[in-house]
Amino acid sequence: MPALEHNVIQVPSAIPRGALSRIEALLESIVDAISSGTELIIPYKTARSLQNGTNAPASQSGDRQTEVVRFPGRTVQEAKKFEALFRIIEMSHEALLSGSVVTKRNIYYQNPDLFKSQSVVDDMVDNLALSLGVGRQDLNIVAAAKGLISGPIELILRDGSSHSCDIPGDTGMLLPSTTSIHTINFRSTRWLLVIEKEATFRTLAASQYCKSSRAGHGILITAKGFPDLATRRFLSMVQTVRPELEFFALVDFDPHGVAIMRTYKYGSQRLVHEENATAPRLRWLGIRSEDVLTNALPSRQEASESAQDQSSQDPASQESVAYSFDGSSQNERPVKRARISRTAGPSDSILPLTQRDRKKAVEIMGDIAGTEQRDRDGADQMRELQRMLMLNIKAEIQAVDNYGDIADWLDGKLSM
Amino acid sequence: MSKQYLTAHTVDEAHPAEIFSLAPTPTSLFSASGASSLRVHSTTETTFPLQQTIPNAHKLGCHHVCTARGGQGAVAASVGFGGEIKVWTKNEEDGAWSLDCELPPSKQKQQQQANGGGGGGGGDVWAIALSSDEGYLACTTSDGRIHVWDIAALEMIQTYETGARGAGSFAMAVDLSQDGRLTASGHESGGVYVFNNDAGRMVYSLSGLANPVRAVAFSPGCKRLAAAGNAGVIAIYDMEHGEHVGNLTAPSSRPAWITSLDWNDTGEYLLSGSLDGKVKVWDVARGVCVATHSETDTALWSVRWLPKTERALGPGMGKSEKFCAAGASRSITFYREATGS
Repeated sequence: MPALEHNVIQVPSAIPRGALSRIEALLESIVDAISSGTELIIPYKTARSLQNGTNAPASQSGDRQTEVVRFPGRTVQEAKKFEALFRIIEMSHEALLSGSVVTKRNIYYQNPDLFKSQSVVDDMVDNLALSLGVGRQDLNIVAAAKGLISGPIELILRDGSSHSCDIPGDTGMLLPSTTSIHTINFRSTRWLLVIEKEATFRTLAASQYCKSSRAGHGILITAKGFPDLATRRFLSMVQTVRPELEFFALVDFDPHGVAIMRTYKYGSQRLVHEENATAPRLRWLGIRSEDVLTNALPSRQEASESAQDQSSQDPASQESVAYSFDGSSQNERPVKRARISRTAGPSDSILPLTQRDRKKAVEIMGDIAGTEQRDRDGADQMRELQRMLMLNIKAEIQAVDNYGDIADWLDGKLSM
Repeated sequence: MSKQYLTAHTVDEAHPAEIFSLAPTPTSLFSASGASSLRVHSTTETTFPLQQTIPNAHKLGCHHVCTARGGQGAVAASVGFGGEIKVWTKNEEDGAWSLDCELPPSKQKQQQQANGGGGGGGGDVWAIALSSDEGYLACTTSDGRIHVWDIAALEMIQTYETGARGAGSFAMAVDLSQDGRLTASGHESGGVYVFNNDAGRMVYSLSGLANPVRAVAFSPGCKRLAAAGNAGVIAIYDMEHGEHVGNLTAPSSRPAWITSLDWNDTGEYLLSGSLDGKVKVWDVARGVCVATHSETDTALWSVRWLPKTERALGPGMGKSEKFCAAGASRSITFYREATGS
């Protein structure tokens, strides 16, 4: 077998979890109910009722309401909900029978008056999957592709088409659904970097960082902000089929960024019933408090350089420390691959936390403390969140990316 | 004349996480960290041995612990990242600390609403300070208020607003004067406010620091207020007239963010700690830095003088003035003056 062959990895096809039979059983029960003239019932759990279910036996009657949707039901709303749910089940059934895939957006546009908004469809699909004990994907319902991928790899889909993810001049390819991928040729890639911000992703993709990195060839992925299930599934699959690939996350230094990183790594609370959507090996590359602090603190050299221009000691004239060394770093602009500690971020990339940020940080800390095993990653996240609160600052990825050259910083971090 | 301080002892790995706050009593030192337990170290022996660990004090870690300046050392208070305020008292017989009470969060909320706060549930509690009679606790909130609690009565007796209701700038630091007359707060906006506790109103709004203020401290005689933060400069204000009377700056370097300030017992010297790991002693009257120590290059979160005490000290402790510093390194370093009597 040629040496390169081991980089070509076939993606195991998803094992059906019996969604079709469950949906058919449900439809059958509805037909039976119609013929016998009894009330029509669709089981309907919500992620919230599931979480409360264990410790709230008091609300028995309330629980029953959230566990099923009846027709004709007690209210007009319930009847409408039943109709909407029934439409989704019907479309999922069709898709499963024909082996095709229907998008959530498609479902909404089939009947916008009935569903009222896209988010209603999104919630119903997730709750239906939860109620049936399957994943959203098992219903052959997917979200419209959101994730982007770039890197010197090749995806061969089940329809036989082949896609290179590093076409020059292209700044990212839409991530295909994981179930549609047949084979991936990883070639010589050694790392995979998930990026929170689309803009940063585009910048790195355009500069062909995947191939020029000092850490070797790699893959870039973004879900353009909060991760969608499709992107998470893709990461989860790649982590399984390609164990030697290193996984990193690049997110903002703020509670939202930490939440995004944690969702990729551990999954989301709202979609706990979805399987194969976590990437436990994902490592939090940055940006971290030390990256922000390195920028906020003067390096030794800087300190001596600045000794001369320290005549004015009026504190009011001293902008934030990070800002104050813009002047000297500008002088050093021509020096290629300058040391990070000397390239301070512009002041507007470091901001104070808002009340909401602070609340969110405490929420995540509660989640970390609530998990049984406080492993090293958990302790690490806890420390970063505590520092964030102590310093009362947040910083965007751009904080390490002044002059648009984040590549140096990444080189240093990825090869550590 | 510069002063000489020596490293007296370092308690390594005093906590399993970063140490965010220190608070001394006449015979011991409280330390609080990102981990859930509080620790109490004896300051009467040369090895500063661990006296007590209070487990599960704050589930999400503790960012502030305080004792009363000039107080007896029978009460301490701490605030966790979850926003809970706990008051600790010392058993006179065996010297062990235990939980006295937790300031009821429901009451915090209710009273905020009663005071017209309402909206959004109010900001979370941040910095705290104990009055020297150990009866009152001042705490700041992230929406810029300062609440004063009567600890024995578990009642919030005063709320100072520093901005539009519930929309003030984050109050990052607070202090109470030892005579109990004044409260000072330092804010994210750079604002420093002083309140008269008898009149229950603001007396000074002090300018001078445009950057976030992370520490405020009244001198023991209550004549001066020191404030510092991201500007890396210590501003000194006169409390008689509310005037800015000077700045303490290190001329040779671009200053790092200052996180902590403390006056010594005589009011002659100020201690400062900063994010670059430097602890400095300042001669306030002459406006110069007389000693700099940098045992670590990681962030310092808290620096404190140890109060002079009349009590019997262990052998080798001497009468010289001592201070301590802690932060990201998770250890506590104790210093003593080299040229003491």
